[in-house]
Amino acid sequence: MLIEIKDIYKIYNEGRESEVRALNGVSLSIDRGEFVAIVGQSGSGKSTLMNVLGCLDIPTYGDYWLDGVDVTGLSDRQLAHIRNKQIGFIFQGYNLIQELDALENVILPLIYQGVPIWEREDRAMEALARVGMDDRAHHRPSEMSGGQQQRVAIARAIATHPSIIMADEPTGALDSKTGQHVLEILRELYRGGTTVILITHDNGIAATARRVVRLSDGMVISDDAQEVDWE
Amino acid sequence: MNTLQAFKMAFKSISAKKMRSFLTMLGIIIGVASVVILVSIIQGQNKKNLEYLESQGTNTLSVSAYKWSGGDISQDLYNYCLGLSDLVVGVTPKIQVYNEMTVRYSTNTMSTNDSWETAAQVVLGSDQYGLCNNYTLKSGRDLSYLDVARYSNVCVLGGGAAERLFNYVDPVGRSITINGSPYLVIGVYEKKNVDGWPEMDNLILLPYTLNRTLNDNQTISEYSVKAVSASAADEAAVRLQGYLTALIPESSGYAYIQNNNANMASMDALLNSQSLVLIGIAAISLLVGGIGIMNIMLVTVTERTREIGIRKAIGAERRSIIAQFLIEAAVICGIGGIFGIIVGYMGTLIAAKMLLDMIMMPGTAITIGAFLFSVVLGILFGMYPAIKASGLQPVEALRAE
Repeated sequence: MLIEIKDIYKIYNEGRESEVRALNGVSLSIDRGEFVAIVGQSGSGKSTLMNVLGCLDIPTYGDYWLDGVDVTGLSDRQLAHIRNKQIGFIFQGYNLIQELDALENVILPLIYQGVPIWEREDRAMEALARVGMDDRAHHRPSEMSGGQQQRVAIARAIATHPSIIMADEPTGALDSKTGQHVLEILRELYRGGTTVILITHDNGIAATARRVVRLSDGMVISDDAQEVDWE
Repeated sequence: MNTLQAFKMAFKSISAKKMRSFLTMLGIIIGVASVVILVSIIQGQNKKNLEYLESQGTNTLSVSAYKWSGGDISQDLYNYCLGLSDLVVGVTPKIQVYNEMTVRYSTNTMSTNDSWETAAQVVLGSDQYGLCNNYTLKSGRDLSYLDVARYSNVCVLGGGAAERLFNYVDPVGRSITINGSPYLVIGVYEKKNVDGWPEMDNLILLPYTLNRTLNDNQTISEYSVKAVSASAADEAAVRLQGYLTALIPESSGYAYIQNNNANMASMDALLNSQSLVLIGIAAISLLVGGIGIMNIMLVTVTERTREIGIRKAIGAERRSIIAQFLIEAAVICGIGGIFGIIVGYMGTLIAAKMLLDMIMMPGTAITIGAFLFSVVLGILFGMYPAIKASGLQPVEALRAE
């Protein structure tokens, strides 16, 4: 298994009246090369689950093995390495750094990975080319449309060739046509062997995934494989 | 972490908020400029004082002696110093004539009433005056014992006075007039060219026995004594003090001896303590500047919480975030330091001209030191905000708007 979590709890203000259980005992396994949609209404805990899976947040209780490694016991620095090398994030709000142009944004994870300076630009351009944004390399986020910004964000996520792509509502801020384009890029990555985890509240988008995990009140309520026709 | 990238990022965020960056730098600019100016002026003053004292000659004693009853001690002092011949090489009265005197050669004149830089310095001394006051002969001859003994109407000119009166004519063997009376020029001294003390070269030296005619026979009370070495000067000072105290008891007059070597040392010590106080004040302004940096860096960290979250999400380690903000603080301070040094150079030029009448620039050591110090200041005061930034949890940082 690539990802295996067992009885994960994320509890805020534990023991007080205001206690919130964002994740209430979630267990889940995801194999290498899967395309999984995690679906739920807002407040169902799906974003919290992604943060935990993406090593952005630490669960209150529970076990998490990523590629055979017990993640819960790792240091800040080791978690940073995992986020850098194994996981690529795509956010609803793109989360590009406004002061940097597209190319510089994509180069950033390569810098943190320690890629030598003479290789960085080529690799970043290659990632931009894969999402069809190589002609906008020197545009700043403020000079691009939402769809273009999201494609740059995808390029940034794939620049380090991570084994997992985590996308949190990647089409949430886009119109349906550009949204479809973004989803097509994700399918392309899946076909290339990357594990894709897609977080969404939109059943229509979830319907395009091979496997759908439904979350409600911090618990998994269904986990089904489905046949989808992508052509 | 890539340092080059961090520098690029630092310059970007500084130029994105120019006004704020400038105001932040202002504290550093003022601090660095004041340190540079103060240190330079103090060094300049020090140099000027030492040059003056050195031009007076090292190992000299200044003797002031006066008897209420009148009558000078010239002969007594001379005789006593003869007995100290293993310590003392010269002794001379030092009489500055303050009466109005007009010195003339052909159509050129100098007066004791001219402005201080060009005024004639009419001085009466013995044949050892040049030796005791560190003048070296350029041409002709010095005063001799006979000139003094015979009340000869002769003079030796300082280099400046010779130039002013004679231009390029050789003065030796020609006559000048002082208030109408002729005096034969027998020699010319080399110019000393001490910055800030041009009057030393406007010397017109005459035998002290002319005191009667030229100086209304005022009592001679100032003398210079030249010793063979620094230790001889110390010993001669002690012996002379003993002799003069016996010669002139406290009830009948006064006798002081100043050792110019000791003057130099005490001048140094005084300047050092003044420097410490002034530089301390300047350092406080730098400290205030540093606190300004810390404040603005904390604001920057808050503003850029989301950026920090993004960087952490894509794999930045704590130390990369720390490095980024430290470099930014150091760059702000470094730029501030450079501007401060520029302002310091201009300020030094102006202040040196106004206070010391010198053209001077801050030294290389102080320039480099000031720059490095401001960078270190940035790193020091950037440390807390940088550590704070690096400690943010990625998920919380990403939530920030």
